[in-house]
Amino acid sequence: MNREPVVLANIKTKITTKKKKSFSMKFLTPWLFLLPAIVILATFLVYPILEAFKWSLLDYKIIAGTGEYVGLANFKEMFADKYFWVALMNTLTFLVIVLPLNVFLPMILAVLVNQKIKAAGTFRVLYYLPVITPMVVAALMWKMLYSQSGIISEFLVKLGVFDGPTNLLVQSSTALTAVAAITVWKGLGYYMIIYLAGLQSIPKDVYESASIDGASVWKQFTKITVPMLTPSITLVSVMTIIAGMKVFEEIALTTGGGPSGATTTLVMYIYNKFMSLDVSTASAAGIVLLVLAIAASLLQMKLTSKREDDLRV
Amino acid sequence: MKSKQTSKIWLYAVMLLITVLTVGPFLITLFMAMKSGGEGIYTSLLPKDPTLANFVTAFEKSNFGLYFMNTAIITAIAIPLNLLFCSLAAYPLARMEFRGRSVVLALIISTMMVPFQLYMAPLFQLAGELGLRNTHIGLVVMQVSTAFGIFLMRQAYLRIPKELEESAYLDGANRFKVWYLVVLPLVKPTLVTLAIFTFMGTWGDYLWPLLNSTESSMYTLSIGLAQLSQNFDGSNLKLISAASILTTIPTLLIFIWLQKYFISGATDGAVKG
Repeated sequence: MNREPVVLANIKTKITTKKKKSFSMKFLTPWLFLLPAIVILATFLVYPILEAFKWSLLDYKIIAGTGEYVGLANFKEMFADKYFWVALMNTLTFLVIVLPLNVFLPMILAVLVNQKIKAAGTFRVLYYLPVITPMVVAALMWKMLYSQSGIISEFLVKLGVFDGPTNLLVQSSTALTAVAAITVWKGLGYYMIIYLAGLQSIPKDVYESASIDGASVWKQFTKITVPMLTPSITLVSVMTIIAGMKVFEEIALTTGGGPSGATTTLVMYIYNKFMSLDVSTASAAGIVLLVLAIAASLLQMKLTSKREDDLRV
Repeated sequence: MKSKQTSKIWLYAVMLLITVLTVGPFLITLFMAMKSGGEGIYTSLLPKDPTLANFVTAFEKSNFGLYFMNTAIITAIAIPLNLLFCSLAAYPLARMEFRGRSVVLALIISTMMVPFQLYMAPLFQLAGELGLRNTHIGLVVMQVSTAFGIFLMRQAYLRIPKELEESAYLDGANRFKVWYLVVLPLVKPTLVTLAIFTFMGTWGDYLWPLLNSTESSMYTLSIGLAQLSQNFDGSNLKLISAASILTTIPTLLIFIWLQKYFISGATDGAVKG
């Protein structure tokens, strides 16, 4: 008779311990899943980012591993540096060159490979090849093509653009454009695929009714294709801006920032400062780059949310 | 009917012209790589006496065999680890309710827009302090778990209907079992996409290996190529071309093998922003 409460109590404790255990498991499980990634990201991403912010406020000596607090002196010094502004201008000029090319050339490619012809798939692959090329290889291949006795120089002389063999990479008036051409070439296939996805979401009957109404191919392109591709155009533009401001290999391996600073972009400026062990200025310039990246991302968010509003109406 | 034929011919002509632009540089590099010793660099496009000697020289004398191994090793480390850690981390962010979830998610997404050039110097110092300089692990610390990978996997999980997992829970399976046995097989295409992104990011990575590999025994293909190109004239161009082709062949093979994932992955990656 009096054994019964004991059994009941046993069962009760069993239930409560099980509950407790499952509660702590419920709490722990998500963090167990997250643990490896979070440890790695915190160590090799978040910590260095925070350090960069700190270094930008210090007079940091990377060899000694210490530095004194100097407030905003690094930023003041940098903003007084003529070469910083040249670098910023070069980054912006680079984007201005690349942006229209990246918006229109891949769009044309997408329209072409979207045609109903047998070899469309093959062309798609051939146009995608530059995308899979390692950046260093792309840069060196183009450096070769640009060389004074190379094919581009020869071609331009034949066209009458230049009187004698000319390497576009060593002329300060053409170097930045020449470098931008490598970036555009490398991205053609990638942005083509993005446009292709946009093209395939345009309903076919729109074109059918347009051609019944007698609209020419060109008119269909400008009045239907381009407007319907607006979301893709926005996406390509923002991706171009974000990727374009970080361009490194194309410049470092072809011109190294020259001739006389003509291709020294913000990223090259940061790299050069780091190489001369001025890591505090490098960090300060890095923060400027971050601000530009955030601005571009905010622009994207604003444009895409506006697009959703448009769709809702 | 006839005008349709001519317009098709025009279409092919334009498309072939573009092909010359996208594929031409590879062919020119390949031809350059096959030119024999005595031949002039720019005298003709095609090699007069095609040879594979430059490839052999690149492998044997210029250490590209070693650089190839280093690159293969770091890629072989990066891909499985990144797939494992990202697919693990993304699961609770997609499917579990817990405190701090939104904070973790916001942090991960916001780190995606931070340019590498901002924190490369502190990372360089950290790698030195942790003994990761001139090590294979040190070369891939940026690739073994990526914010982008977590984001990509989370998107994939969100597309799976919840009911599949719920019925597994009713059968008494725990969270890890459900993730491994039910959820993971369903996101295989995204895992392949992430593997491709990791491969491309690791195989062609330049700036970080440039900083972290100070000894030539730890050079990757990209660094070896860049070093070789310091002398960018004369007969060295043939060697650079051969090494460039060698560096590209693995990516080309993988592209041919997994073509459709590259194409679908391009649009998945576009959300990266």
